[in-house]
Amino acid sequence: MEKPELIKDGKRLDGRGPKDIRPLRIEAGILKEAEGSALVEWGGNKVLAGVYGPRECIPRHLSDPYKARLKVRYTMAPFCSPGEHSRSGPNRRSIEISKVIREAFEPVVMTHLFPRSQIEVYIEVLQAEGGTRVAALTAAAVALADAGIPMKDMVSAIAVGKLDGQVVTDLGKDEDNYGESDVPMAITHRNKEIVLLQMDGLLTKEELAQNLDDAIEGCGKVYEIQAAALRKTYENGERGKLKL
Amino acid sequence: MNIEKIIVPGELIWEQEMRVANTVVADGKTYATVVGMVRDDRFIPLELVYKAKAGDNVVGVVTDVRHAGYSVDLGLAQDGFISSKFTRVSFKQGDLIFGRIKFADEVGNVDITDAKRLPTGKLVDVPASKVPRIIGKRSSMLNVLRDGTGCSIFVGNNGYIWVGEKGNVQLSLKTIDFIVRKAHTQGLTDAVAKYLNENGGNVTVPPRDAPEGAMPPKEETAGENPLMHPAAETEKVQPEQPEVVEETKKTEEKLDIEEM
Repeated sequence: MEKPELIKDGKRLDGRGPKDIRPLRIEAGILKEAEGSALVEWGGNKVLAGVYGPRECIPRHLSDPYKARLKVRYTMAPFCSPGEHSRSGPNRRSIEISKVIREAFEPVVMTHLFPRSQIEVYIEVLQAEGGTRVAALTAAAVALADAGIPMKDMVSAIAVGKLDGQVVTDLGKDEDNYGESDVPMAITHRNKEIVLLQMDGLLTKEELAQNLDDAIEGCGKVYEIQAAALRKTYENGERGKLKL
Repeated sequence: MNIEKIIVPGELIWEQEMRVANTVVADGKTYATVVGMVRDDRFIPLELVYKAKAGDNVVGVVTDVRHAGYSVDLGLAQDGFISSKFTRVSFKQGDLIFGRIKFADEVGNVDITDAKRLPTGKLVDVPASKVPRIIGKRSSMLNVLRDGTGCSIFVGNNGYIWVGEKGNVQLSLKTIDFIVRKAHTQGLTDAVAKYLNENGGNVTVPPRDAPEGAMPPKEETAGENPLMHPAAETEKVQPEQPEVVEETKKTEEKLDIEEM
């Protein structure tokens, strides 16, 4: 496929302005057997996250007598995209994403409260359309809160970047593939700490500074939807997660 | 029903510094670490991971028989332990037990004492944060639940609930589910009494702020806690070595969990 014109008359491929994010819908507590769970539908992305624990650390020799071990597994379903995903097990890319997501949560989750145990976060990408790692991180944050795992702060994530010389927020698949730069970022709500920052492509110092401001603004919007999803689980005076 | 504002992790609770459980203080302000509600100067967690503490009552499953005691699954990261020193009853793998935490340390070791075997029944796993609502103020909710369904029910602070085979078990399970779903609403005991009556239960215990006389007879709870000496209690009935299951069946009616 030839590179499409990414920005036309100030509008992006799907008609968004530079700072608009794709429609985002989050639902918390949707899995019966997980202690905490979330479904994130972000543009064409569909990501499911389930949290288990704190439970017995396996293998045992990896348990830490001072804190819980955080275990994150990000995987893509074989049917998640038109590209090659013939087997859904861990591969080079998903191992890397699992690692960066885990490291994003390590400063936030209060692991010192649960020594010798492990907290497991399983993230499944059911459908991918650019920015799955930020969607995965957003889902995992909601699932952790839904599981009642204490966190010092809420984490929200968004991708920013550059298309045809213009700095934009929340890149889609084509924008990611044909754009000049893609910068996924995760920022905590209260402290505005950057817990994930990766970069693909090239940016000037000024563009990166602009990107950072956009990411803080975008994460603010994501946070509102995350918080609303958690509140909504109690909305109708009802909340049920009982295994009978 | 009256629903208060739900607070999410990282959200501001108070502008001043408050040393309250499940919160963090930063820059002189107090923030939540779990999903919860604020009522006056209390922060009520709605989702919480159970942490064992001494004095808690627990329901568990014996997972292993070891030479010095028994391992018990309490739904925690580590199994609890019943030392043979502190129990006269012997257990088998798979036995359901009701006991009290004697000691819990910071790395997750839990010692259980006063353990007694529960007869065959249904084990239900509920979030530990909902347990205070299932018990209610001075066991008010539990009394309504037992009275309305005719079931024998034991609630552990760890979130495991045992429901005996006698009585309307299905209604008990449905009602526990109802309480868990509505745990964050007010006036719940009345709502549960109504729910029980609508679904074939028969509630006779006045639900809330009941006068002393309306509570179950005092004699039942007076004197020694039968939990302490399960054998002593039944010896009057059966002088020769009683079967353990028999023994627990005899004592379960007289048990009192009000101190929870």
